[in-house]
Amino acid sequence: MTQDPNLTAPVGAAVSEGAYVPAQLPVGLRRVPSGVDEVTTEHLVVNFGPQHPSTHGVLRMIIEADGEEVVGAEMSIGYLHRGIEKLAEHRRYNALGTLMDRGDYTSGIHGELAAAMVTEKLLEIEVPEKAHWIRSLMGEVNRIASHLVWYGTFGLDAGAMGQFLYAVRDREDLLDILEAVSGSRMMFNYVRPGGVLADLPAGIDQKLRAFVDIFDVHIEEHDQLLGGNEIFQSRVHGVGVIDKQTAIGFGLTGANLRASGVGFDVRRDRPYAAYEKLDFTVPMATEGDCWARYAVRMEEMRQSVRMIRQCLDGMPEGDFTAKVPKVLRPPAGEAYAAVESPRGEWGVHLVSDGSDTPYRLRYRPPALYALQVVEAIMPGSLIADAIVTAGSVDLVLGEIDR
Amino acid sequence: MNPILVACLRVLAGLGLMLLNGVVLIYMLRKVLGHLHVRLGPMNVGWHGTVQTVADVLKLLTKEDPTPRAVDKALYFLAPAVVFIPSLAAYAALPFSKTWAMADLATGLLFTFGIMSLVPLGILMAGWSSANKWSLLGGMRAVGQQIAYEVPLLLSALPVVLMVGSLNLNDIVAAQDKLWFFIPQFPALLLFVVASLVELNQTPFDMSEAESELVAGFSSEYASMKFGLLFLSEFSNLFIMAGLTVTLFFGGWSLPFIPAQIQAGFAPIVFVAKTYLVIFFFMWIRGTFPRVRVDQLQQLGWKVLLPANLAWLLVTGVAVKLVEAVAR
Amino acid sequence: MQPDVTAITSALRSAGLTSVEVEQTSLGVIVRAQNAELLQLLSALRDSSSEFTFMVDLFGVDTGELVEITYHLRSLSRDEDVYVRTSVEYDDGFPSVWEIYPAALMPEREVAEMFGLKLSGHPNPKRLLTTDGLEPMLLKRVEIRSAEEVRSR
Repeated sequence: MTQDPNLTAPVGAAVSEGAYVPAQLPVGLRRVPSGVDEVTTEHLVVNFGPQHPSTHGVLRMIIEADGEEVVGAEMSIGYLHRGIEKLAEHRRYNALGTLMDRGDYTSGIHGELAAAMVTEKLLEIEVPEKAHWIRSLMGEVNRIASHLVWYGTFGLDAGAMGQFLYAVRDREDLLDILEAVSGSRMMFNYVRPGGVLADLPAGIDQKLRAFVDIFDVHIEEHDQLLGGNEIFQSRVHGVGVIDKQTAIGFGLTGANLRASGVGFDVRRDRPYAAYEKLDFTVPMATEGDCWARYAVRMEEMRQSVRMIRQCLDGMPEGDFTAKVPKVLRPPAGEAYAAVESPRGEWGVHLVSDGSDTPYRLRYRPPALYALQVVEAIMPGSLIADAIVTAGSVDLVLGEIDR
Repeated sequence: MNPILVACLRVLAGLGLMLLNGVVLIYMLRKVLGHLHVRLGPMNVGWHGTVQTVADVLKLLTKEDPTPRAVDKALYFLAPAVVFIPSLAAYAALPFSKTWAMADLATGLLFTFGIMSLVPLGILMAGWSSANKWSLLGGMRAVGQQIAYEVPLLLSALPVVLMVGSLNLNDIVAAQDKLWFFIPQFPALLLFVVASLVELNQTPFDMSEAESELVAGFSSEYASMKFGLLFLSEFSNLFIMAGLTVTLFFGGWSLPFIPAQIQAGFAPIVFVAKTYLVIFFFMWIRGTFPRVRVDQLQQLGWKVLLPANLAWLLVTGVAVKLVEAVAR
Repeated sequence: MQPDVTAITSALRSAGLTSVEVEQTSLGVIVRAQNAELLQLLSALRDSSSEFTFMVDLFGVDTGELVEITYHLRSLSRDEDVYVRTSVEYDDGFPSVWEIYPAALMPEREVAEMFGLKLSGHPNPKRLLTTDGLEPMLLKRVEIRSAEEVRSR
């Protein structure tokens, strides 16, 4: 796909066009009387999940179908509920990252970063410049890894198989890099209040450069393999349209919001880590259909590659962490910090009572809001479209259920 | 020799061929898909996993065979047989060489299509009797698509019949000794391959067992060898359709530029090799393409394939008449 | 990022909400509202010239005496955040705001479930994350003294 200049979100704040007014009840199964058109027909209520090949994780979609058409949908979640918010009340501040990793397990760095940032805000810790750059670098590495999972499973939802394994091939390289840096493939616990756990290991620079050089070629391959396919295009164009008002009303964030024509990106509009000094564009589309979300995410991966290069070139010298005490006791107060995770705005709202554990930690799950909008737009589409729509908004159940 | 004994031996040979084919094709599918997907496929049982399928067949044979409580017992047990028998019977007319065929039927092509069109009946039985919503949806989809595509499939084979003037598959092969029909009949070949992919429930038209939508479609509730029969008949249908493609468009068991006497010795090998090449092509499509949607499938069938088929049939008919007139 | 306190106050006063308090804290601008006037307040904020059309989040905090529910609103056109906070007594109810912010549909169910509150006016007020039959109230601050107490809770 060539870079379309119109696909770039305007710099500055986004413009909203009035509020979303719900036309009718958007949730739950709507019971339509049987016997439409004087034929005795009965609607079929089918359970998609929690054990179903196409639900991401353990989502349960209760779909009421009239033949192949969805007339009502309800999302039933909670099959992966571990009470992360409650557990956080019994963790010390520098251990919050472990919980965040287990929330959205495909983009742990971002969650750790949000938890670290909110702690730093309360403690007013000055983070060294190098730590900022490492955070941005690892964040973008993790973003590509997460988007590759989405890309692979989105294709699986559309019925294709090959692209998933090609995506996993590239993700493997990224996980190797993440493992070399943090010591773990998924549960990193790398970003800590005050900076990061350890400096970048020797030789990671060459590894990353080798990866981005080959990924420049592979991303076009991915785009051709799935997006260049005629059948795939006919499956996603005009399917699962989320218009601007709906997207704003249902609190969509991230790529889903930008695909609906609202250009808001936490990285650009409320810069954190080193994003102020990085040069990147925020891709945007206005159609709001599955294809728009696909195009925006593919372009985000290209931008991430650009940012990784810039981070490697501009990596400053210095400390990787500030001097922080072993036990952090922030003063009583409240703070909110948000990062742009691959799924959207991942916010952590922290209430401290001055002790060494948080009084209350609220974790804003972007995928939960994406799930609600899928529930609302699903009625009226075919079962096959419903699956593709749910795949296109990138749901991670670890995050939705917490 | 006793003609009944000969007939029995032929049926046994067909059954053996079908079972062997199933085992080989499952291995081939795994390996082809594996390598298309940058992985290796089975590697551990035997050299490069060659015995893996045998192990799997043994597993299927010895597995517990649970019957869900709510199923319609008669239909549930009958369905695998109804799916399996047509795909076995369809081997009857396939010409492996001039003399090697279970039955040399005057209407071989018609027989094969006719017997293959019984398969959706079994699939609907399986889907309906399983008392499972996914199975029901899968069975309905299978019937919808297979009945819709019977017409384009038959129509896409008709131009070849027009050129040959016979429905006997051996005659069709013999008519291709100078020119394989895929050159003059290239549009018909394309239409035939698309329609046969639908008939076979192959990706991108595998609606009836779309695993991302319907779990496993009509075969969700089947286990053990009942599932094995459904699975086996799918591969045997694949072989038959590929064999028909070879017979109609790629000269069957014949090879160009080689005298007929030399060919006769290894004609069955040529036929099977060609068929496997076509199967490889089908698997290639399976490893690459996403699935089309139900309504798109019907639109493609009725709005694109059917008019295109009729138009090409008209063109062929006119051409055949013109050639006859010129020759006279 | 931070809206003007006086602008918000005057906007709310002109909408007929005379008793709300708007304060500037370290977190940001917090509008304190009574439970009864919550719906009016939120729709006034949404339709005001600041256009707080986007609800970022909705969550509850148990302060030890009551449950505080915070609505985190954002104006995408001005890039400003505001928090609306209301208090609910234990076992009391709070109104659903889904007609103003559909984004609240699931978080509201979560709050009602986790703190043992009643939810009124919601189209689907079932529990969200835990199974029926238990009464978890996970986020309520209850002193846990023994395992038996946890099991019987």
